[in-house]
Amino acid sequence: MSLLRVRGLTVAIHGTPILREVSLDVAPGRILGVIGESGSGKSMTALSVMRLLPSGAEVSGTVRLDGQVLTDFSERRMRAVRGAQVGMVFQEPMTALNPLQTIGDQVSETLRLHDGLSPRLARARAREVLDRVGLPDPEFPLGRYPHELSGGQRQRVVIAMAIARRPKLLIADEPTTALDVTTQAQILALIRRLVDEDGMGAILITHDLAVVSGVADDVAIMRAGEVVEAGPTAEVFAHMRHPYTRALFDASGHHPDRPPHEGDVPLLQVEGAVRRYPGRRLGLWGRAAPKVAVDGVSFNLRHGENLGLVGESGCGKSTLTRAILGLEPLQGGRIALDGAPIVAGAVSVAARARLQVVFQDPYGSFNPRHRVARLVTEPFHLLDRPPTGPARDIAVAEALEAVGLQASDARKHIHEFSGGQRQRIAIARALIIKPSLIVLDEAVSALDVQVRAQILDLLADLTERYRLSYLFISHDLHVVRRITDRVLVMKEGRIVEEGPTEAVFANPTHAYTRSLLAATPVLPTRAAG
Amino acid sequence: MLRYGLRRAASMLVSLAVASVVIFCAIEVVPGDPAQYMLGLNASPDTVAALRAELGLDQQPVTRYMSWITGMLRGDFGISYTYRTPVAQMVADRLWISLPLALYALILSTAIAFPVGIMAAARRGSVVDMGVIGATQLGIAVPNFWFAMILVVIFAINLGWFSAGGFPGWEGGLLAGIKALTLPAIALALPQASILARVMRSALIDTLGEDFVRTARAKGLSRRQVLWRHALRNALIPVLTIIGLQFSFLLAGAIIIENVFYLPGLGRLVFQAIAARDLIVVESVVMLLVFAVILVTFLVDLAYAWVDPRLRGAR
Amino acid sequence: MRALVLGGLLAAVFVAAAAVSFVWTPGDVTAVDIANRLQPPGGSYPLGTDHFGRDLVSMVMVGARVSIAVALVAVGIGMGLGVPLGLAAAATRGSWLDEVIMRGNDLVFAFPALLIAILITAVFGPSALNAIIAIGIFNVPVFARVTRGAALSLWTREFILAARVAGKGRIRISVEHILPNVANLLIVQGTIQFSLGILAEAGLSYVGLGAQPPTPSWGRMLAEAQTMISFAPHLALVPGLSIVLMVLGLNLMGDGLRDLLDPRVRKARA
Repeated sequence: MSLLRVRGLTVAIHGTPILREVSLDVAPGRILGVIGESGSGKSMTALSVMRLLPSGAEVSGTVRLDGQVLTDFSERRMRAVRGAQVGMVFQEPMTALNPLQTIGDQVSETLRLHDGLSPRLARARAREVLDRVGLPDPEFPLGRYPHELSGGQRQRVVIAMAIARRPKLLIADEPTTALDVTTQAQILALIRRLVDEDGMGAILITHDLAVVSGVADDVAIMRAGEVVEAGPTAEVFAHMRHPYTRALFDASGHHPDRPPHEGDVPLLQVEGAVRRYPGRRLGLWGRAAPKVAVDGVSFNLRHGENLGLVGESGCGKSTLTRAILGLEPLQGGRIALDGAPIVAGAVSVAARARLQVVFQDPYGSFNPRHRVARLVTEPFHLLDRPPTGPARDIAVAEALEAVGLQASDARKHIHEFSGGQRQRIAIARALIIKPSLIVLDEAVSALDVQVRAQILDLLADLTERYRLSYLFISHDLHVVRRITDRVLVMKEGRIVEEGPTEAVFANPTHAYTRSLLAATPVLPTRAAG
Repeated sequence: MLRYGLRRAASMLVSLAVASVVIFCAIEVVPGDPAQYMLGLNASPDTVAALRAELGLDQQPVTRYMSWITGMLRGDFGISYTYRTPVAQMVADRLWISLPLALYALILSTAIAFPVGIMAAARRGSVVDMGVIGATQLGIAVPNFWFAMILVVIFAINLGWFSAGGFPGWEGGLLAGIKALTLPAIALALPQASILARVMRSALIDTLGEDFVRTARAKGLSRRQVLWRHALRNALIPVLTIIGLQFSFLLAGAIIIENVFYLPGLGRLVFQAIAARDLIVVESVVMLLVFAVILVTFLVDLAYAWVDPRLRGAR
Repeated sequence: MRALVLGGLLAAVFVAAAAVSFVWTPGDVTAVDIANRLQPPGGSYPLGTDHFGRDLVSMVMVGARVSIAVALVAVGIGMGLGVPLGLAAAATRGSWLDEVIMRGNDLVFAFPALLIAILITAVFGPSALNAIIAIGIFNVPVFARVTRGAALSLWTREFILAARVAGKGRIRISVEHILPNVANLLIVQGTIQFSLGILAEAGLSYVGLGAQPPTPSWGRMLAEAQTMISFAPHLALVPGLSIVLMVLGLNLMGDGLRDLLDPRVRKARA
């Protein structure tokens, strides 16, 4: 018997179709994983169940929860369902809590609202719920404010709010996307435990196949507002009846073809790099101890090599990256590119020209006011005699074609391109002055899996054609594994493990690497056929 | 919280010190000799010299600055060049009209703007909202002293509910005083209330789009409950900034409005002093008003910390 | 869009009137004509005459000239000084320069335009120039803050990092990348400060700190009308409504421009 039964759910917002004939079932005590790329309508499905769609939405079809037809409920009756019978967890824990209210007040609000508990009783219950989600008493008093908690801890508070009334259904919309892998594993385990203990049903919405395969009992795969395939997880992954499921699966585990790297000539040398930030001010004169973001890091990157740098947020990899790009001064050690020193504010033009970068955000990486030709040629600034006129046009065309775009795209504005295309333009911009090293700073992290697979192929192809080296920085171990020859694992400002990628992944020696790998969700190996 | 308060207080003192230097220097560059001016062209050089000594004008600028500042700290603002009476007494009498007027207007402005802004945000896109947008757009465009004149024509000249101007003095009773300040306060408050209501509205609408509002809705709160329990307090942060800024506008506005209602406040004092080149009075009044503005900025900073827990701990 | 057109038309009427007043006005604003004093609106004097018999249409036209000139130059001063200061503060975020600029801003904020005008008048005597300087100084921190705030968020964007990796200096990035991206915001703020300038100029000339006789100005027309308000209300209504309509037009224009230029609003509509 299913707890939640969605039938023929069709939604349009201001006339734009968002969902088409979506049907889903969630059974008590089971987790339904809803998978889809951005724009597939997975979040809108969740909001439809909660009846929290943006204004202008037209809905048809039925949503039944435990026999009640929610789609027929008045707003007033629906309010009694939200929070009490259905709890919801959102993607962004940093903004999901009211910054001005204590966590105790926010959790007890759910209880006071639905059960009319006295403030004292509600707080006592809130205490129990927070204990239950892993925020025990002495360390996490009810009087804490959200800004005093980490992202993972905030997500636990949001979960506490959602399950405080022991709802029948829990909807979690990308609950771990903004979190580090180890935190992600803990939050997923917590959701699993709560589902098992309370016998509630749960919908886990995610873009990550591996996450779903680890915790979900059932899956539904969505594309462009439709459910293309659904069923028990093991069965769906074993057969993959729908081609889209297969494409998604292949892209998630895609391994670009790359010849193994040979040679041992160092290109980038980092020796004992230290970056300290002054501690925050205490009173008028005192200062806290300085914060050491990068603490004596040394490594070499060889000519033609793809080197990975992995670590969780706050480990210092961003600071290190900025230092390598010459944007951040060092307090100790040195960085050199082919012998030329890299010092913030004093990098020689020649060294700059050999070092380029591609960032994570395909939307923020370009000045929205310039055309592609101007965007792509920005590094020409580093050449003594940059090509002009026809030579410049040829260079732009070559760079665009190298990344799979057309020469005619040069005249367009950046807003005319999709996220994946923008990332190609970012690579073209890095490529145009023929650098030796490209730093890829989470360069594929914001992309959907299929686009990501294409960009990884492109990167692998370019290494060979242009004899490029990459420094590939990512929090995603799978991606690093697929594109790098060697890998560095960073934790609290230090490199804790270093070695050939396959060796490190197969036999991690440092405890931290092992815990990272253990926390990383893995795709099931695909059944033959 | 205490550390935050002390830091803001320290920054307030620095602002005050720099402001006093700026004001002193501005007055310092005035051409001509006040003593000569006061005594007229026929005064003998000896008399002028004696007066200069009496006023302390023969000393070095640094010395005079120090005695001006230390004097003010003791409540001694010097002697008026023209009236030959202590400036402190003159200013104090006038201050008891200008300051209550500005505060009265601030209270009115807030009392009008809050409900109007909240109502418009709660019913965004409705007729009420459109009405508020239109009315406030007009309210912002009206110069307060012109609005004051219209109020005088309607309520004083035609209806006779209020007197057209003048002030009975607080000794005539609190109520009579408040009544005399009511028309000027309304004239001052309505344009500011229009601005504040718009800020309140847009701050609330912005806040209602935040993620935590969606979280609260998912708990089962109604739109109205979310607005009162979660959005309002968050929207207060930008609103406080504007209230702080408005005080200085209201103070300046009060000085102008006093002319419409013939109120014997700081405004009339300072314009008479400018006409009579009574620079020490100008200097003192300006310093006092700047002090009031800086003090209000400090109070607004404290109010931020009261609203926002993030400010209490960290900085 | 409707707001932009309506506001633009309102403002344009006064700007045109001010421009025309340089070459032609219906009557002479300096000549005294006691025979025709205090004429009510209508007939050969569409808006009536004042206590010297001067035609109010002409007075309003010439008054618009003063108001617009003062407010416009004050916006120019505010932008000319405030924008570079804001860009510099953002480019050197957290440095002593940033600190000095921001503290300086706070200090100027403590002096409302009226107090600056009082100080200047006490020193140099009243004139339209005082009003320009006082309102201009008051505008500087406004533009500095708006510029710095917008620039700070741009400096963290990746396209700025990309430009830095391309070896471009702070000044070049500020001019090439930051300024064009804050321009929209500055245009909107400029419109708002323009309308505030009109109001401030009226207030200053009302208390005698602005343009001096015989130059007509809206604020002083109101001051002169005050004593005659019970028997010649049109003397107060005409310049008062002129101010309201001009300011309203500019504000509507500002709102319209913001909707038109703000990419967030534009995207939401598309």
